Amino acid sequence: MNDPSALTAEALAATGKAQTPQELDQLENDYLGRKSGRVSKLLEGIGGLGPDERAALGKAVNEAKRTIEAALAARRAELDSARIADLAETEAIDITFPGPPLERGHIHVLTQVRRQIETVLESLGYQVEQGPEVETEWYNFEALNITAGHPARENWDSFYFSPELLLRAHTSPVQIRAMQRIKEPPIYIITPGRCYRRDAPEATRLPYFSQVEGLAVDKGLTVGDMKGTLLYMIQSLYGPDRKVRVRPSYFPFTEPSFEFDVTCGICGGMGCKSCRHKGWLEVGGCGMVHPQVLRNGGIDPTQWNGYAWGFGIERMAMLKHDVDDIRLFYESDLRFLEQF
Amino acid sequence: MKISYEWLGDFVDLEGVTPKDAAEILTRLGIEVDSLTVVDLSQIIIGKVLEQKPHPKSRNPLWIHQVDLGDHVEQIIAGAPNAGAGSLVPVALPGTTVPSGKLVKDMNIAGFTARGMMASADELMLGDDHSGIMVLERGTPGEPLTTVIPSQAIIEAEILSNRPDEMGHLGIARELAVGLDRPMKHDFMPSFTGSADPPGKDLIKVTVDDPELCSRFIGAVIKGVKVGPSPDWMQRRLRACGVRPINNIVDITNYVLLEYAQPMHAYDLARLKGPAIHVRRARDGEKLLSLDGVVRDLTSDMLVIADAERPVGIAGVMGGEETAVTDSTVDILLESANFDGPSIRQTSRALGLRTEASARFERNLPPELALAGARRGASLIAELAGGTVHREWSDVYPRPQQPVRVILRPELIDSVLGVHVPLEEAESILKRLNFHVKVMGDGEWDVLPPVFRLDVSIGEDLVEEVGRVYGYDRVPPTLPGRRHDRWTPISPSTDRRLDEPREVLAGAGYTEAWNPALVSGKRLEELRIAAHAMRVLNPLSDDMDTLRTSLLPSLIDVVALNRDRGRVDVRTYEIASSYLANVGEKNTQPEEPLRLAAITTAGVTAQEGRAAFYRLKSVLDGCIAALAAPACTYQRAATQLFHPGRCAAVVLEGRQLGHIGELHPAVVSGSRLEGRLVAFEIDVQPVLDASRIPRAQPLPRFPAVERDLAVVVEDTVAAGAILGSIKELAGDLLEGVKAFDEYRGTQVPEGHKSIAFALTFRSPERTLTDAEVDRVMAEIRLGLEKRHGARFRE
Repeated sequence: MNDPSALTAEALAATGKAQTPQELDQLENDYLGRKSGRVSKLLEGIGGLGPDERAALGKAVNEAKRTIEAALAARRAELDSARIADLAETEAIDITFPGPPLERGHIHVLTQVRRQIETVLESLGYQVEQGPEVETEWYNFEALNITAGHPARENWDSFYFSPELLLRAHTSPVQIRAMQRIKEPPIYIITPGRCYRRDAPEATRLPYFSQVEGLAVDKGLTVGDMKGTLLYMIQSLYGPDRKVRVRPSYFPFTEPSFEFDVTCGICGGMGCKSCRHKGWLEVGGCGMVHPQVLRNGGIDPTQWNGYAWGFGIERMAMLKHDVDDIRLFYESDLRFLEQF
Repeated sequence: MKISYEWLGDFVDLEGVTPKDAAEILTRLGIEVDSLTVVDLSQIIIGKVLEQKPHPKSRNPLWIHQVDLGDHVEQIIAGAPNAGAGSLVPVALPGTTVPSGKLVKDMNIAGFTARGMMASADELMLGDDHSGIMVLERGTPGEPLTTVIPSQAIIEAEILSNRPDEMGHLGIARELAVGLDRPMKHDFMPSFTGSADPPGKDLIKVTVDDPELCSRFIGAVIKGVKVGPSPDWMQRRLRACGVRPINNIVDITNYVLLEYAQPMHAYDLARLKGPAIHVRRARDGEKLLSLDGVVRDLTSDMLVIADAERPVGIAGVMGGEETAVTDSTVDILLESANFDGPSIRQTSRALGLRTEASARFERNLPPELALAGARRGASLIAELAGGTVHREWSDVYPRPQQPVRVILRPELIDSVLGVHVPLEEAESILKRLNFHVKVMGDGEWDVLPPVFRLDVSIGEDLVEEVGRVYGYDRVPPTLPGRRHDRWTPISPSTDRRLDEPREVLAGAGYTEAWNPALVSGKRLEELRIAAHAMRVLNPLSDDMDTLRTSLLPSLIDVVALNRDRGRVDVRTYEIASSYLANVGEKNTQPEEPLRLAAITTAGVTAQEGRAAFYRLKSVLDGCIAALAAPACTYQRAATQLFHPGRCAAVVLEGRQLGHIGELHPAVVSGSRLEGRLVAFEIDVQPVLDASRIPRAQPLPRFPAVERDLAVVVEDTVAAGAILGSIKELAGDLLEGVKAFDEYRGTQVPEGHKSIAFALTFRSPERTLTDAEVDRVMAEIRLGLEKRHGARFRE
């Protein structure tokens, strides 16, 4: 056949019948292939024609090419949209089948809580400070106004390596070290770290635990500033509905001294079994830094004052995640650690 | 401390104040209430037993009572025989619940109806006696029990260590009175002094030999006492506070302790040799049979009360058995003294004997309290035991309590609290708390605390007093904010920087552990890593007696624990300090290098161990890359914990960080584990120090040429060495090279291995031609042949 229009008609009919993209590829090759395609072959023997006939044939062949190309493209688009329209049936999968396990490890819940605490307090401008865990008697006790024979010492029963060296019972020594290092207030620091007290392990306490203490030293700080800081911290960690109260207490290193409580997350402060009907959960201690402690840190208490607070990271994690036994944090049972 | 609500009513009017109100007020003032137990007796009525007969049929012994309840008589059956005819008893009728929680029902016991129950003290929560029915001293049948015994409430509270004055009901009541703004019914100091002749001080000679440890000793002589049971109300109050009644004299000393917080002791005067009292240190070798029946070995650190010959009491802790008051005692010496707190604590600890008395003395009681306690005790003995109190007691007071004056700038109150407290209110609060306030010409306040308060010495202490009564709830929360001209820029904490490797480890399937830093020293010795270990002098137990020198034993334990609990594959890590003593310098703080350690289980075969090693190496490389530090190198090493052929030192910029390797088979089997363990432990700080901010490199503009090279060498040649040679030999056009396969077997000669390398070539200036790359590859082949005897596989 060497009639372009007849060939075109034949190609268009075949295109219309094609059902797959592969068939269309085959047709494209058959008709439009560069050397052996049937449209190209129409030009065989064109050399023997006169100029006018040559031009006419060339034109007709080009016309045929364009028409067939357009038909192929249109049919391709048709098949494609039909395929996409049918995907819901042809390629449906059982989406309820579980994905393969990711086998991702877990970051310890205490690391997560510590990170949240650091983030919240950094947003108030507090800088993380670190210090040694094996401390001297002076930094752990004397500098904090807990002199030898002080009746409060029994609250900090400690592990000793020698009469002068012990495992710190709180992170407060870091406060003294930070004051000595920074020298000139304003000082806004937090001191996350491990501490040790000689208490037998039980569900609510361990001989090793982690604390975050905070210290602010500036001009004209007040109990109100301390309350505001604690409230900001608690609400940022536990939600804006929580309330904080401070209760008078006693620590040798603060005056006045307080315990701070947060409203129970289960009953919202109404009183329930989990808060022993108090409505409040005890979180930590706080107070205005004792002038002698400032002096021990090299800060002039007539120029500056401060507040400080401290609490256990475990306690915060227990409140946040309803953990009822502190020992779980350090037992390293993966079934526990993988819950967070 | 247990506080009886009823007792508080002796000192302050509690009209309209429920026990719960009182508990809340006390908590707000700083006396933290742990629990409140209310014993409601309003449903219990008084009955009088008219007749008691044994139950004729019951197999267990039972008694049938006819009980007069005022307007009618009920038949009540009981198992205890002690409520005979004429006894007044508490009765709970059917339908009532007694305080202990038992619901009383109508019963029929072997043919006899029982209508109600006669209660024991235990069932009414009025004591721990459950042996028989509680028999009342007085009461009218049919009347509620509360006409003779008020409903009870026990407040269990924590007393702050600086407030020993609150370790008695009087001190608690004083706080409650301030909180309620009601007056106290009694003055602190009773007026009773005794009047009998001759003066008490002539009847016994008291000497304080060690005034450092005893600032005051009062001894009152009381003659002709009748020892017997103390009255019901006193026994009830003692029981409510957890003290067992003994006899009227001993009960009175305990009662005064629970009321005034002043410990007291009564001696049988006839049994004191001399009669004389010496307050002195014990002599080494002296012994004393204390009231609890234990023979105590005394040392010269301990203060004792002695008569002319021997110790008769451990000062401030416990009296001696031989001079104790007994039923036959007639004359007594009543002691009310003041001892040094730290000394009492030390003695109490050394003897393992903590008593109500030592718990109070430990906290340094004011010596003025001794006189108030002595007067209260003597007057109660005169009243309840019929004794004659002699006038002019021995009162040896070598170190009189010095009055403390505190000068307060009243502005301090507002500036510390952050709220405006009107001056009149502040002054009124201090006065209600028994502080004497004198406003001076310059506006400063000259404040004199009451004698029973030794905890107040600076202005801030007074601010606290004002603040807690004013109410901290009334202080508005604020955030500090000032215009500063100086600040410290914030930088990420070490722990937050380490979140980067934590993410890498999590992605690789490793879960973070926090393990105790105190471990078994014996274990460290067995592992031969105890050379720098710090040992605790006073450990709680052997398995927590030493600070760990490595995190690896803890991680091995984590594997063991989880294997025990059914987990086969364990991958875990820890970031924590280890502690390395400076050997030879005993009193210096140890090094506390921060470490990162990880462990993974592997199968039992050498091949599985090897594969796990390389996987873990990738994890470690990933951690270091996450910290933006340069890549580390690995050098063959040998160390105690690791497999001799499968251990590398991890080196970063020439500095050794730690080790990676398969754990030594002996270590694994010594931990009773099967299979292989692969682990690493490195110092973190050098990695953090080497961390650099990554600088952007321009993206390549020309295509790369990839070539593979299979190098056959003897088994002993390290891949690392060949890699080094390739880099040297290839020159600038080599962009990167990686070893990706190692093969031993039929394709290579015995004792040889084939390592496959993938090389990437690229020029920043042009597209490389195959010919150019072929030339470089030929150089590399030649060089490897010469240096490592390498052959090449297609």
